[in-house]
Amino acid sequence: MDFIFLVFSSLSLLADPLNLTYVILGFVIGTVFAAIPGLTATLAMALLLPLTYSLSVDTALMACASIYMAGMCGGSITATTINIPGAPSSMMTALDGYPMQQQGKGALALGHAALGSMFGGAVGALLLIAVAPFVAELSLLVKTTGKFSLLAFALIVVVIAQRGRIPQAGLAACIGLMLATVGLDAMEPITRFTYGYSSLTAGIDLMPVIIGTFAIAEVLMQSCTRTDISAATAAANKVKIRRRDFLPPLSDIRKIGFGCYFKSCLIGYFVGTLPGAGGSMGSFLAYTEAVRTSSEPETFGKGNPQGIAASESANNAVCGGAMVPMLTFGIPGDPITAIMLGVLVINGIQPGPQLMADQAGLIAPMLATLLFSAVVLIPLTLWLIGPYFIKIVSVRKDVLYAVIALLAVVGSYVATYSTFQMFMALGMGVLAFYLRRNGFPVITMLLGYILGPNLEEFLRRSLALSNGDPTTFFTNPDSLFFVILTLVFVYFLVIRKPAQKPAAIKTK
Amino acid sequence: MFLHRQMIFLYVTLAVSAGYLVTALSLGPPIAESGLTPAFFPTLVGGAAIVFCSILIVQALQAKPETAPADDARSYTHFWVVVAIFFYIVAFKPLGYFLSSGLFVFALILLFSNFEKLILKAIISAAIVGIAFVMFQQLFGVRLPTLWG
Repeated sequence: MDFIFLVFSSLSLLADPLNLTYVILGFVIGTVFAAIPGLTATLAMALLLPLTYSLSVDTALMACASIYMAGMCGGSITATTINIPGAPSSMMTALDGYPMQQQGKGALALGHAALGSMFGGAVGALLLIAVAPFVAELSLLVKTTGKFSLLAFALIVVVIAQRGRIPQAGLAACIGLMLATVGLDAMEPITRFTYGYSSLTAGIDLMPVIIGTFAIAEVLMQSCTRTDISAATAAANKVKIRRRDFLPPLSDIRKIGFGCYFKSCLIGYFVGTLPGAGGSMGSFLAYTEAVRTSSEPETFGKGNPQGIAASESANNAVCGGAMVPMLTFGIPGDPITAIMLGVLVINGIQPGPQLMADQAGLIAPMLATLLFSAVVLIPLTLWLIGPYFIKIVSVRKDVLYAVIALLAVVGSYVATYSTFQMFMALGMGVLAFYLRRNGFPVITMLLGYILGPNLEEFLRRSLALSNGDPTTFFTNPDSLFFVILTLVFVYFLVIRKPAQKPAAIKTK
Repeated sequence: MFLHRQMIFLYVTLAVSAGYLVTALSLGPPIAESGLTPAFFPTLVGGAAIVFCSILIVQALQAKPETAPADDARSYTHFWVVVAIFFYIVAFKPLGYFLSSGLFVFALILLFSNFEKLILKAIISAAIVGIAFVMFQQLFGVRLPTLWG
């Protein structure tokens, strides 16, 4: 209860002009990046990561929270107007959003998307605020062996969640783990895999990994797969978007039903708590559920606002869900929470069970911002810049990618003022580029890199405590719980056949 | 079939994984009397990487030629972007932020567009570099290298 009170009292921090400026700026940048096909809010956050050095931790985390929320709803703009989702999480929104645009109801579709995002973001944030303290208390019960099993569970789930490309995901995770082992050993004074380079003794820094993986790799991807959206934006420009059309009529909202909104939020929230699942899976499952329970399933894919509401409520609720494992166990749920984790680590804060207990005052403003972004900034952004969205996404790509490359390379320099980190970012960018180009999920590589050091340390500590007896992972209740949970996920994600996709999705 | 783009990537990854495993084994025995050594975890990871690589190589070799991903129209822009970033980093300190960044941004704009309207693109590059300088140095207090020290 104290934590809930702390979060709501943290809303007062938004009255500080500096904090409010960064939160609003973060939201606008997140929206623009999510709206432009080829760019993502993850990229925006990766580019802004170096700048967090000069900000206070709570301001940086507040800006991150607003970018995260903006990133989830911004993708719906191009998904609706030009049928190209700005972010993968808005893929399902395009199924009904674009048909509505073609029917001349584009503004209304954007209004439904914003309402769904607002509802989903708010419910996800409230659930996070209510649940996180209890999960944090429970996490204190997890001891060394349990921590290893939990991290192994997270890594295995991230790998097996990549249905159809599990070997690729496994290899990517191994590459991440390899990167994590570079440098000084955590338990003995031995350097590993440095090959004589003293700059590698402290290990590979998080900053070049994030900038390389998300910013430089994206520039390289875009250089060989240029998306020409000029024809689509020209067509969309012909449809006049007026502010008064954004407001969904009450009859539409009643028809969608509170149940659909709320169920989608819950789906999104719980999907968010799973490592590596992300917004696209949340919106896909919520959309599927909306089609399954609808009395008019044949209308989905032809401009049914319920599809937009389900998809957007779910992907914004993911924001709250993904922060639960990040804040309580230090396990990021998706790339954006991985970068948030980076912000904490860069500032010397160790995420994990003690974080909520010791640094609640630092976390509370971030959660308050998440709620503020959902309830205030989503509708406000739509109202203020909604009619100009198409003009924003028509920005010159040559200039855009040159700016991104400049910010990425210079950004990797600011951490240590050394060109070594710039070369490291370039190396990571090239690696991530080839991984992506060959169908390897980079999120598993990133999670392997982030979780690797603790995974190794807890494995060695557990076996040292049990005199080398590996059955310790099955005899300790906390560890056994995660072992069983891993087996349950392996059964549902690998052994059991996947659920059939609804017809509306299949045809698309 | 044996040497298309994805296969080359897999062979390189396999070679790197094997090199990693050899280095891990050279750290000493993975298990000692006192418990697991610093070599244990890397040995495990290196071994797993080789297994995954082998699975992917076998899968790719077993795939029918028509199902193997065909190389799309060759574009080397990404290669030139990497080259541009490399030389930018090399020149960053000796040439200073302004000159190196100006050339870098101009080169990237050309790589992402074409060789027309060069003066306009040069002006845009200068403006971007100036704005980024103000943002980094003035707004966020980051010291960037300049020719005047």
